[in-house]
Amino acid sequence: MEGRPEDDVELFTRAQRGSVDAFEEIVHRYQQLAFRTAYVITGSAAEAEEAAQDAFVKAFRALDSFRTGAEPRPWLLRIVSNEARNRVRSAGRRTRLELRLAEGFRQGDAAPSPEAAAVEAEERQRLLESVNALDENDRLVIASRYLLELSSEETAAALGIPEGTVKSRLSRALARLRERVEAQAGG
Amino acid sequence: MAERMDLEARLSGLSAELAWPPQPDLRARVRTAVLVRRRPWFESRWALAAVAVVAIIALLVAYTPTRTAIADFINLHTRITHTTVLPTPSPLPPGPIGTRLGFGNATTLEDARTHVKWTILLPSSLGRPDEVYLQTNDVPSGGEVTLIYGPGTGLPIAGQTGASVLITEAQGRVDEEFFGKIIANGTTVNPVTVAGHQGWWISGEPHEFYLVDSNGEVRVETLRLATNTMVLDVGGTIVRIEGNLTEQQAEQIGSSLS
Repeated sequence: MEGRPEDDVELFTRAQRGSVDAFEEIVHRYQQLAFRTAYVITGSAAEAEEAAQDAFVKAFRALDSFRTGAEPRPWLLRIVSNEARNRVRSAGRRTRLELRLAEGFRQGDAAPSPEAAAVEAEERQRLLESVNALDENDRLVIASRYLLELSSEETAAALGIPEGTVKSRLSRALARLRERVEAQAGG
Repeated sequence: MAERMDLEARLSGLSAELAWPPQPDLRARVRTAVLVRRRPWFESRWALAAVAVVAIIALLVAYTPTRTAIADFINLHTRITHTTVLPTPSPLPPGPIGTRLGFGNATTLEDARTHVKWTILLPSSLGRPDEVYLQTNDVPSGGEVTLIYGPGTGLPIAGQTGASVLITEAQGRVDEEFFGKIIANGTTVNPVTVAGHQGWWISGEPHEFYLVDSNGEVRVETLRLATNTMVLDVGGTIVRIEGNLTEQQAEQIGSSLS
């Protein structure tokens, strides 16, 4: 037992028995996923923080509904995204996501010339701006799948839609994004 | 298709480059939130503090010299009628003990027995309780029964409640894991065995303790007397014996439960 990190099954089993220590470790493991997912949905760091926190509290209270041995990420994502969507709904505003690229980031091992690096960075920034500018449904499915790197099942849980719908929605969103990117490049 | 794959690859590449907002650490806040269940107003520290302040003011005002001093101090040009000082003014609100402390509905032992699934334990050393309360709202599944003993036990009365002993029973289990973490400085928790039953003797400063009810939910329980308490697990029934008691007195009561 010593030195070996507990696996999720052990942690959830202990948490289901009422261990707050075990649940704290679950929060530790999944808080980044929860916060970023909530951020993609709400477009606000402050709202995302509250949504993620409240979601974990609700998850604790709903531990009985978690099936032993199941994959925890979709279960948690469903709770987090519900919480985040409720916040957006009650605020009655349209979300506006403003994802940015980290400054000074250089992709890959290649060391392109400063000019080439600048062009690449500009292209990536434009792509990101195109994602930000998509309508909410398209943006959420693309952000979930590629920026949060969620699986199809997790994306379905995060968006509250069937897994089959994820594929069709993603396909249409990608088509619209491509149009936008090409229009930008053409313009 | 190749275009789509290229776009997907570029999107995937973005994930590592994003400037996400700083990640907050939610652990402490979530822990606090899951541990601290919303408690009824009468268990809130603020409410207790307010009651204490009102009680102190009532005491001061009831005592003639203090009242005169207060009037002089605040330059109160109002005539205050002097009345006879009560020898033991009571700071407690009126009404039966159990009602004041929110133990639920006053009932009888016989009636309480018909409402709960477990056998209500009675301490033969104390006899029949003076008051019996049944709480079914917001308590561990299966209800909570409180037996109240007044001055007839010969044990000291706790000033906070006017009772000498409170015995609360509910089905569940005590999660020992929490003891070490939430008990305040100045409070000690010692494991005890009373008549073969596992238990804990909690003494010292006022404190809270946690139990896991029969639904598996963690509950925060405030020790209402803010005095020493013995918690016993009698075959799945959690029995709390609270009062101005010594460990020996609590053990005596605990070992006479049947």
